[in-house]
Amino acid sequence: MMKQLFPIRHVMGYLTSLILSALALTALLDIPFASKMAILAVTAIIQASLQLFVFMHISEMASTKKELYLNIAYALFVGLVTLFGSMFIFVWGWYS
Amino acid sequence: MKIDATKPLEYGSEENSNKIFGFWIFLGAEIALFSTLFTVYFVLVNRYATGPNGTELFELSGVLWETFLLLSSSFTIGLAVHSMRLGLKKPMMIFFGLTLLMGLGFLGIEITEFFTYVHEGATISTSAFTSSLFVLLGTHGAHVSFGILWGASILLQVKRQGFTLATANKSFIFSLYWHFLDVVWIFIFSFVYLKGLM
Amino acid sequence: MKWDEFFVTGEPMIYGAMASIVLVTIAIIVGLTYFKKWGYLWREWLTTVDHKRIGVMYIISALIMLFRGGVDAMLMRAQTAVPENKLLDAQHYNEIFTTHGLIMILFMAMPFIIGIMNVVVPLQIGARDVAFPRLNAISFWLFFTGAMLLNLSFVIGGSPDAGWSAYFPLASLEFSPTVGNNYYSLALQISGIGTLLTGINFIVTILKMRAPGMKLMRMPMFTWSSLITSVIIAFAFPVLTVALALMMFDRIFGSQFFTMSNGGMDMLWANLFWVWGHPEVYIVILPAFGIYSEIIATFSKKNLYGYTSMVVSMVVISLLSFLVWAHHFYTMGQGAMVNGFFSITTMAISVPTGVKIFNWLFTMRKGKITFTTPMLYSLAFIPIFTIGGVTGVMLAMASADYQYHNTMFLVAHFHYVLIPGTVFAVIAGFHYWFPKVFGFKLNERLGKHAFWWIAISFNVTFFPLFFLGLQGMTRRMYTYSAETGFGPLNLISFAGALGLAFGFIILVYNIYYSIRYSPRETDGDPWDARTLEWATSSPIPAYNFAVTPNVKGRDALWSAKHDNQPIFDGKIEPIHLPSNSGKPVILGGVFFVFGFALVFSWWIPAIISGIAILIVLASMSFDRDHGITVSVEEIMETEKKLRGETL
Repeated sequence: MMKQLFPIRHVMGYLTSLILSALALTALLDIPFASKMAILAVTAIIQASLQLFVFMHISEMASTKKELYLNIAYALFVGLVTLFGSMFIFVWGWYS
Repeated sequence: MKIDATKPLEYGSEENSNKIFGFWIFLGAEIALFSTLFTVYFVLVNRYATGPNGTELFELSGVLWETFLLLSSSFTIGLAVHSMRLGLKKPMMIFFGLTLLMGLGFLGIEITEFFTYVHEGATISTSAFTSSLFVLLGTHGAHVSFGILWGASILLQVKRQGFTLATANKSFIFSLYWHFLDVVWIFIFSFVYLKGLM
Repeated sequence: MKWDEFFVTGEPMIYGAMASIVLVTIAIIVGLTYFKKWGYLWREWLTTVDHKRIGVMYIISALIMLFRGGVDAMLMRAQTAVPENKLLDAQHYNEIFTTHGLIMILFMAMPFIIGIMNVVVPLQIGARDVAFPRLNAISFWLFFTGAMLLNLSFVIGGSPDAGWSAYFPLASLEFSPTVGNNYYSLALQISGIGTLLTGINFIVTILKMRAPGMKLMRMPMFTWSSLITSVIIAFAFPVLTVALALMMFDRIFGSQFFTMSNGGMDMLWANLFWVWGHPEVYIVILPAFGIYSEIIATFSKKNLYGYTSMVVSMVVISLLSFLVWAHHFYTMGQGAMVNGFFSITTMAISVPTGVKIFNWLFTMRKGKITFTTPMLYSLAFIPIFTIGGVTGVMLAMASADYQYHNTMFLVAHFHYVLIPGTVFAVIAGFHYWFPKVFGFKLNERLGKHAFWWIAISFNVTFFPLFFLGLQGMTRRMYTYSAETGFGPLNLISFAGALGLAFGFIILVYNIYYSIRYSPRETDGDPWDARTLEWATSSPIPAYNFAVTPNVKGRDALWSAKHDNQPIFDGKIEPIHLPSNSGKPVILGGVFFVFGFALVFSWWIPAIISGIAILIVLASMSFDRDHGITVSVEEIMETEKKLRGETL
């Protein structure tokens, strides 16, 4: 019964997400800024993909798999363009 | 209504599959929404004027509890869908209920945190930084609150009607929503709190 | 709040507007009661979930808003016709150019296009309805609520007055102390939610509800353009949602996003507004391109030239549209590197657009062209739009833009893009698909008269503005002195505006005339067209197609007529349709109260109506509605009746 209710895939996914959250805490250590940002980015991206693939089953229906990937890709394109474009305008590329 | 027995019940009719597909697109729109809020936050994060900045404001312990609760609730809603696919009503309802309870716990901590901020002199009108912080966290919190109300109404429908095309579909869509809120939280945890504390 | 602040006072024209609003409302209520049409209105229209009827309601609303925005435009041209004119004061002028822009873009162009999408797209792909019919009704009622809320601002509380782009700090509480910009944020927010839901609905409809054989690369071009537009809507509107929410927080809750102190950044508003605003331009132009593609192919009796390149160019435009927004504020203070980047991306957009222009030209090459009213609009579109496009490339050059930024040159440019691009397209589409929906054509003679008035007067109105801009007349100035020398060209422009108004009057008269005198069609295909929507009878039965079409290539109807490839080779089966629901219109009403209460910061009504929104949503969730099934006999009977056979 326990095995049936707690499939190994979900349990491993959960444990991994906890470990990744703990790993992200190493960004608080005294290391160069670039490494800190790299740690945060890598752990967050792995965690997000974990949710997407393990828990949300984005790829489970063959009929919609491609469209869903395109959907997420388009959303990320718009989101990242907005984010980095605005930083480009206001922070990195501001006239000074 | 034609039921396709080869697929899980939540995908069992054309209407059901369309609803799930449509909800995924809605989540795409939500990605754009939260990206914009993050944009606002990152542009304004160093503009705290005479108010406190993130390093002065953030407390790690509360944030860690929030993260733990949300990650665990994401785990249990995943288990709820798993039980639903096995047709086990009672475990499904228990996992679903646990998810909502942990959501409530998360909200409790977040509200306490907001009160502490206000107590320390950081309100929504203190500085551009605090405005963007409150609105980013608040939008996520509002999503969690709405999710708890929505989830409770779905749970009630599952209890009354059991697993039908409609209730299975709604429960699955709710699980997508809940996982998505977890994804957003991960980015808040990393790029608002941890980056702020660095 | 005092009553004399609640109602807008002291302006004879606004008293006139108030009186006319009251009179029209009374006339509608009395008329409906006298003719006993309340039940009909409720059953057939207000509660409908039928995509065709929702489309018609969108188009009617858009036409009414076109009238409202048109009156604004006439007042503006009249005010600037001669130097030192006293027709409007500065405040009233500010309100009028603000609402003109808002109404024309968000409450005229968008709903007109969404209306045509609603009517046409499910038919073109051979579907029974959109994917989520009830959501579609919610979308309409949220749009309508937003439109009514914005129009109410004119007489209650004061209209927004900081321009349709509502730049901060001008739009902040400090410089716009009336509730006008609260209306702005809430009306746009509510209708924006509706639009977002429409976008999602149409993506699912087009991707998942196509008839058998209707592969993606066989879809009619209008459906393709609707798909791309829906994608842009789904990902651009959330940005507007955020921007408007932040505006509301700044104005109502005292946050510091766009303020001038405590770290606030006024330019962030302009940034967010245009992150949404530029894709928005493509949201209203791409379906217009789709309409032209259908009309040009039909009336050239040829298939569309360069189908694949049309699709590819639209996908490229949709991606590029998110990469160009900073060209709206080259002079804001960002560095040369930023301006250079956005200048290049902006110019890049002209490449896929140019591809489309050439495709239309090649479609017409060696075609048997018939000069119907919709075709005339399409033909006029090509050269006029090209002028708009070329001046757009001029504006895209950042260094040159410093010279004509915010002058009438810009005003002329975007009218040269939006009017031939979107307005001509929706009028052309209106004439083209009118017989499909109502079963008779609009009168061609009156239609052509209106066309010539509109096309010529448009150029008379807006061409002088290019020169005025280059001479240094800035936009949004409510008057000027005679010494500036702006007078004569402005007067010519006003004369053109009168001609435009006359053209639109003929157009409206044509609707009335055609309802009374146009011969009724018995055939569903009056233009000898190519695509699937013409394969069913006109007017269209509720279930669209008695038999699900089976598509074997592009231009399905054309192949059916000429290559002997039957579309309807199945047999009639019972059809499942969604049942009507009153909840969408109720939801719209509750949202109206919610928005109105927030505009005036009336917290208790706002909270009560906010809870009411959740209750209506919950009651929808608990609904167990399985729709209705139309039996085979009923279908046969309806089909016979539509073909004019006696029973």
